[in-house]
Amino acid sequence: MTMVAFENVTLRYGERVILENFSLRVKKRERLVIFGPSGSGKTTILRMVAGFVAPERGTVSIADRPVSADGRILVPPEKRGVGMVFQDLALWPHMSVEENVGFGLMVRKVPKMERKRRVEEILELVGLKGFGSQNPSDLSGGEQQRVALARALILEPDVLLMDEPLSSLDRPLAEHLAHEIVRLQKRVGFTLLYVTHLEEEAAIIGTRRLTIRKHTSSSQTSRPEIF
Amino acid sequence: MRLFTGVIAILFLGLTLLPVGAMVWQTFASGTIASHFDELFLSAQAWKLLRHTILLATLVTLLTTLVGVPLGILMGKTDLPLRPLFVFLFLVPLLLPPYIVAVAWNDLLIMAGFGSGTLSGLGGSLFVLFCVYLSVPTLMTILFLRTVPPSLEEAGRLCAPWPSVLRYVTLPMILPGILLSAMIVFLLSLGELSVPIYLHYEVYAVESFTQFTAFYRFDTATATALPLILVALVMTMAENRFLKKRTATFRHFAGSDTFLRISLGFKRYPLFLAAAFLASVVTILPMTALALEAGDFHHLAEAFLASHDALLRSLLYAAAGATLLTFFGFLLGYTLLKRPFRCAGALDPVAIFLFTLPGTVVAIAMIFFWNRPFAQIVYATPLIVLLGYLAKYSALTGRISLARLSMIPASMEEAAQMAGADWSQRLRHILLPLTADAIAGAWVVAYLFILRDVDLTILLYPPGEDTLPVRIFTMMANGSPELVASLCLIMATVTLLPAAAAWGVFVRKRRRK
Repeated sequence: MTMVAFENVTLRYGERVILENFSLRVKKRERLVIFGPSGSGKTTILRMVAGFVAPERGTVSIADRPVSADGRILVPPEKRGVGMVFQDLALWPHMSVEENVGFGLMVRKVPKMERKRRVEEILELVGLKGFGSQNPSDLSGGEQQRVALARALILEPDVLLMDEPLSSLDRPLAEHLAHEIVRLQKRVGFTLLYVTHLEEEAAIIGTRRLTIRKHTSSSQTSRPEIF
Repeated sequence: MRLFTGVIAILFLGLTLLPVGAMVWQTFASGTIASHFDELFLSAQAWKLLRHTILLATLVTLLTTLVGVPLGILMGKTDLPLRPLFVFLFLVPLLLPPYIVAVAWNDLLIMAGFGSGTLSGLGGSLFVLFCVYLSVPTLMTILFLRTVPPSLEEAGRLCAPWPSVLRYVTLPMILPGILLSAMIVFLLSLGELSVPIYLHYEVYAVESFTQFTAFYRFDTATATALPLILVALVMTMAENRFLKKRTATFRHFAGSDTFLRISLGFKRYPLFLAAAFLASVVTILPMTALALEAGDFHHLAEAFLASHDALLRSLLYAAAGATLLTFFGFLLGYTLLKRPFRCAGALDPVAIFLFTLPGTVVAIAMIFFWNRPFAQIVYATPLIVLLGYLAKYSALTGRISLARLSMIPASMEEAAQMAGADWSQRLRHILLPLTADAIAGAWVVAYLFILRDVDLTILLYPPGEDTLPVRIFTMMANGSPELVASLCLIMATVTLLPAAAAWGVFVRKRRRK
């Protein structure tokens, strides 16, 4: 089953062409690494799946349902069944770890006890049992990354988007966490779209790789190639 | 979100810009300009007013910028002792109605044996407005110094001493902030009413005020205000074209841990003395003169009893106005950042334009618009005063909110959106808590600006419901010097005590960070 599909997608920022007639299919439970240099449009692809950017032309679908097409957002981000770990992690500094992780459940009015149970479960899953009452800023970089992962996973998304989440960590820790992400994906079963510009991370995470090369031609088009 | 912010935008424009637009339209439609063009714009008196207005505003701008920017660097970038105290002392005159500084210095000069007319005309107005507005470039320099990424200065420091780094790296980077502060000082001086009236210096704002209050020549008053509206329009366009992009939002804002500070070494002692001297001229001496002129506790008690109703109204107007301004300011800032509908970006130039208009012009526009039989619930009540404040000061709270909101990564709100939070939930749970400091700051700034306001309030207050600054201003002509000094001292106390407390909280919080 195709979980995420881009069909003839074109996107421009002013004169600059980010994607042109771009098509892609990502199967269920696949781990696709989007690989390429900075500024090549990797993050934009994730943001289109998340629903923050609409393609100028073409269609983006999730689980065979069109979610945005021809400049319009058809399904808002919160209704796409997609989780995302941002490059800067975007942990809310005024909330504790458990408040950060349980936020999605709170706005869905999940009862407090149920919420607490599920937060504890997911924190245990990412190896942060007992960290719930702490403030994100008191945690190490690796622990913060796990909080962001737990927050993205708690709503049991079909698709998880990760935008260079390990870029700020030192290499041994980043590699360790990359292996953990793979283990977690196998266990939970979500489809993963993972953006990185590091070869090592791409090799650990991906079952398939989408390489975007930034061309220096006058059109500045980034041409995706799938390997 | 689009609907709500759209309604707020329409409400804001209807309550603020529409009265000014209607007044300008009426001025042209009535034929006053056509029939009195020579008298209004080509007579010797008109040119004198224009020359005086521009000269005073230009000199105040140049002097405050030349002194305020180095002072800002000294306060914001070096290890000079007692910096927070100095900054507060320089801020004091800005927090008070400007004429209080004029009254205080006049009292001081008389005590020193000079004649009562020593402080008057261009020189006196320039000196007083310099004291009042010195803190604008000082504070803006301190603020913008924090926006320079430390790595850029560190790269410079690897090959050059601090003075060169300041000259070639830091100052060019904060130049838009300096220009913005110069523009603000110019416009505040341009529209200043109370100081030129007190020191007998004829400027356009005084002429417009006189035409309206003394002769009730409405059309002439509005026509006289047109050059000021034109200047405000040009300034707004210049700010929007050249400065807004680099001053309205901050991508980088250094915390105490990453901020590079210059060690003054032995130079700290002469510089400390220089700063102390300047603080004495600007604040300590005039405030001491007020206390001496007020005399004993008996005078103060008498003044308090005679004015406690006006004092209470001042505090109420300021609190209500600040709350209204903070509400609109936050939503303006949010709308400007997110641009949920076309033309949302136009709200900022509108707010800036209204801020750049002299208070008297805004007040006359409000009276013109609301003085109608069906609108007495606004015109005859304090509502008209609050609407005047909304028009005049929403740029302050809007820009503060915009600057703070722009520092929150978009991913913070996007993460909440992905978690299923709708717009109101994102606002309540993410944006409001993350901007609580700026909201509180915007409220305090609005409160203090309203508390010191004379130009707007003096024309708009309903009968018998004046504020303390207005009452003092009207008593200056025929009240006893002791009573006026006592009232000024009371005004200074009620303004400065909460301001000092807020400043103390701010400084402690920043140190903790």
